[in-house]
Amino acid sequence: MRVEFFLLMAALLFTIGCVGVLVRRNAIVILMCIELMLNAVNLTFAAFAHENQSMAGHVFVFFVMTVAAAEAAVGLAIVIALFRRRRTTDVEDASLMRW
Amino acid sequence: MVLLLGLIAVVAVFALARTFVPARTVPVGAALGAVMVALVAYDHQELASLEFWSGLIGFVAIMSALLVVIHPNPMVSVLFLILNLFCIALFFLILNAQFLAVIQVIIYAGAIMVLFVFVVMLLNLKAEEGLRLGGGPQRSGAVVLGVAFAALMFYAIRNRGAAPYFEPESFDSGFGTARGIGRLLFTRYQFAFEAASILLIAAMIGAVVLAKRKLR
Repeated sequence: MRVEFFLLMAALLFTIGCVGVLVRRNAIVILMCIELMLNAVNLTFAAFAHENQSMAGHVFVFFVMTVAAAEAAVGLAIVIALFRRRRTTDVEDASLMRW
Repeated sequence: MVLLLGLIAVVAVFALARTFVPARTVPVGAALGAVMVALVAYDHQELASLEFWSGLIGFVAIMSALLVVIHPNPMVSVLFLILNLFCIALFFLILNAQFLAVIQVIIYAGAIMVLFVFVVMLLNLKAEEGLRLGGGPQRSGAVVLGVAFAALMFYAIRNRGAAPYFEPESFDSGFGTARGIGRLLFTRYQFAFEAASILLIAAMIGAVVLAKRKLR
């Protein structure tokens, strides 16, 4: 299997996730799109690790998963706190710190 | 190649039929199922090729990612994200990273997505109305920058060095196993491993403090 196929696939998934972050209003769906982007990056790491037969890429995927778990936990806690205050998860309504 | 493109065309025709003539979904579905069986009978050697399965998994991954972004109901988005994570796990298997495929299913699909499902159900979210599409100079600027970035990525992938960087004699039969990753994690990346544990504790305390009703 050529590595270019996996690079192309990861680039497409990353683009879809990026568009989702920009386009959606719901904070939970935005967090899910961030997970999509992190997964695309993981796929790139694994593809290059396979091509170079070097397992350092796998270790980096491991650390990206750790960061993704921490980010999901804190992000969802913020969404719950926001919902408790404002009864909404729309990011357009949470604009207090906007300049 | 024939089988893969044929299956994708069958799925596309079925989706169009469901959208435009919903009353005739059953006969159209039966006819398309017969076409699918005929395709498999015509080109059954392709079922054994890695390219066919990679293409099929890639198609499912792209479609599920698009549905995560497009679908208005957050619960459906979560379910399609789980499908997408399974597709990435299968890609890891194709790329000879068995351990990563297993922890992808256990950690992502098992732990993180359960958290997402839990929060979506707890907040009882309704389907939202409309997307934030922006307008005017913002949209045209986004299109220009997107095309420029796609051209840059295409150039980078095309002009990569063709030869892989490893010597075939030094092939490591333990590539991708839990043993190999553990050896690297506890020797060369020991410090990063410990830092990750501190990060997880900090995230746990932060989540508890943020979600608490009153701090006391």
